[in-house]
Amino acid sequence: MLRLRYFVYKELLLLGRDLHGLLLLFVMPAVFILIMTFALQDQYANDRQVKIDYLLLNQDDGVLSQQLVQHLGRGDNLRRLPSPGDEEQLRVMTAADESQFLVIINADFAKNLADGELVLHLDIAPGTRPVLVSLLKAQLKNLLGKLYLQQQLSGASTPESVMPELEMPEMIASRFLNGENDDSGVDRSKPSSVQQNVPGWLLFSMFFIAIPLSNTLISERQQGTLQRLHTMGFPYYTILFGKLIPYFFINILQVVVMLLIGMYLVPMLGGGRLMLGNSLPGLAVVAVSASLAAVSYSIFVAQIAKTTEQATILAGVCNIIMAAVGGIMVPRFIMPPAMQTLSELSPMAWGLDGFLDIFLRNAKLVDVLAECGALLSFSFVLLLLSITLFTRSGLRNN
Amino acid sequence: MIKIKQLQFRYKGAEQAALQNIDLVVPANSILGLLGPNGAGKTTLLSILSGLLPCPANTVFVDGCDIASRNTSLRPRLSLVPQDYAFYQQLTVLENLAFFAGAQGLNKVTGNERIDEVSEIAGLQDRLEVSAQSLSGGLKRRLNLAIGLLNKPQLLLLDEPTVGIDPHSRHFILEAIKRINAQGTTIIYTSHYMEEVEALCDEIAIVDHGKLMLQGSLQTLLQTGKRQSFAVDLCELPAAESITLLQQSLTFRRDLLRLTISVNSTRDIIAALQKLEALELDVGRIHYGANNLEELFLDLTQRSLRD
Repeated sequence: MLRLRYFVYKELLLLGRDLHGLLLLFVMPAVFILIMTFALQDQYANDRQVKIDYLLLNQDDGVLSQQLVQHLGRGDNLRRLPSPGDEEQLRVMTAADESQFLVIINADFAKNLADGELVLHLDIAPGTRPVLVSLLKAQLKNLLGKLYLQQQLSGASTPESVMPELEMPEMIASRFLNGENDDSGVDRSKPSSVQQNVPGWLLFSMFFIAIPLSNTLISERQQGTLQRLHTMGFPYYTILFGKLIPYFFINILQVVVMLLIGMYLVPMLGGGRLMLGNSLPGLAVVAVSASLAAVSYSIFVAQIAKTTEQATILAGVCNIIMAAVGGIMVPRFIMPPAMQTLSELSPMAWGLDGFLDIFLRNAKLVDVLAECGALLSFSFVLLLLSITLFTRSGLRNN
Repeated sequence: MIKIKQLQFRYKGAEQAALQNIDLVVPANSILGLLGPNGAGKTTLLSILSGLLPCPANTVFVDGCDIASRNTSLRPRLSLVPQDYAFYQQLTVLENLAFFAGAQGLNKVTGNERIDEVSEIAGLQDRLEVSAQSLSGGLKRRLNLAIGLLNKPQLLLLDEPTVGIDPHSRHFILEAIKRINAQGTTIIYTSHYMEEVEALCDEIAIVDHGKLMLQGSLQTLLQTGKRQSFAVDLCELPAAESITLLQQSLTFRRDLLRLTISVNSTRDIIAALQKLEALELDVGRIHYGANNLEELFLDLTQRSLRD
């Protein structure tokens, strides 16, 4: 057992001199976390953080349409841009994505509102996301409904100028259920981009140890070092453990580094702060299970690939597919149901579910046992397959 | 002593056996030259001895122990130096030696002592901090050998340890092997270089098509071989009339400057040299016995060792 430390030390020396391997394992995920966290910040932002830019053209001169303009201006997530030109110029600006929407209030607003006629035109810029269209339409409908109700309650003969404004009290209390029983004093009530992206890209990078690990194992096989070690009396599984242990700890180091980036670097750069949830034991077990799955997968890749080039391509392609299917690149909750079902086949999805359970859903150790069990089973099966394949093929120099 | 009795081995799926009924004895403290063309079965034999391939029971005995019994006590006494550079190119010479010493269970003090000893034997003392990948081919071979010596083996298996290196490094390695043998290590040595084998080995075994063609002491084999000719390289091309005169008294074959002259005894060689001198044919080099092992080999295997 003591001899294993020499294997561990040797692997660390080899990896320490493999600049590309280090970049792949530590710099790539850090860059991904930063880029994707900030790029997708709006996707996870709460309603106050979503900003909708619009140009406004009011063709009516009545009081009600002015009230509509004022209501729109009070909207937390609406930002009116200066409207310098006529209708045609504003339309050109919107078509060029300089604004997301052009809102045109038609003439005779109050009359048309009372008659149920068209009162607004909404032109949508080509780059505007459909979800924002729905959001703005809902807000406009809400405002129009309020003005309509105000008009109807005041009576048809009441002039616009003396109609009392209708105040709608806040009647809905909402909260996300991930922050319950949190006594940390920090507002954890909403999921954020950093909560989603850190575990995702962390897992992605953990599985990328397949490239340096398989490359060293295949080089050892090709150069005869493995055979030499075997003649010294080391059974294959000892050599495997000699790799499994250092790479397991490298995975754990990746976990620590990426979590620290999410907790400290991302907020320093203006993003949200990663919150680790309330179960460090649960987090530790998910990290250990994911690491064992990644290391076993790497050894399996080394066993089925004949050359380092094959291993690099195989591991790279498989990782990207597992990440795409598993919700790393595209969050699972926006996938259609069929894709969500398919994504359950990806070990990265199991790991991601485990991390998200801890980070977002306030899960405890017992709640992530299913995901960890799947990862550990995956690890066990691949290790068994690797040893079987090795036993069949021997220590060939191929 | 190594004793091999009726050893047979067939690779999975192969039609022909890689080794067929090999009987071989390697005396203790000797150097056995294991010769054979490519694919003859040399590496298979070394792989079985070193434990890389499974050994059939009751066929190979090292100091009376059947190696098929997986007696792990044999491991520290055996070392294989493979033909490949079986070490880590990214590590330094010292890191490689330290890893293999530690991995074999040598404690720090013993390990450091052995590293000092083997680096001295391999002439690597001044290059311990150099990255293995920046070593020349000859120095890499020496590092490969040094790693194989870390466990102070009683049986050292050398698979073409001098292939592809410069004469200086080859000489260094051959001298190192002689020193190791003088310290009591039994060595099995495979090579394609006949002159190396003749200079180094006490015993010779020739294998081909998985069969042992011949085994014995170098001296005995050379005596039983065809030593019925010697060759001279003349300094200048002989005149036609000198050739005619020579043909009257000697039986020979001419190839440009080289005359291969048939002889029956040492006395015939002296007589032939005197005739050359009488005809004023200057001799630049004399070859006698140097190629006999190769000739013997070619007679047995019907092909060149270097094919």
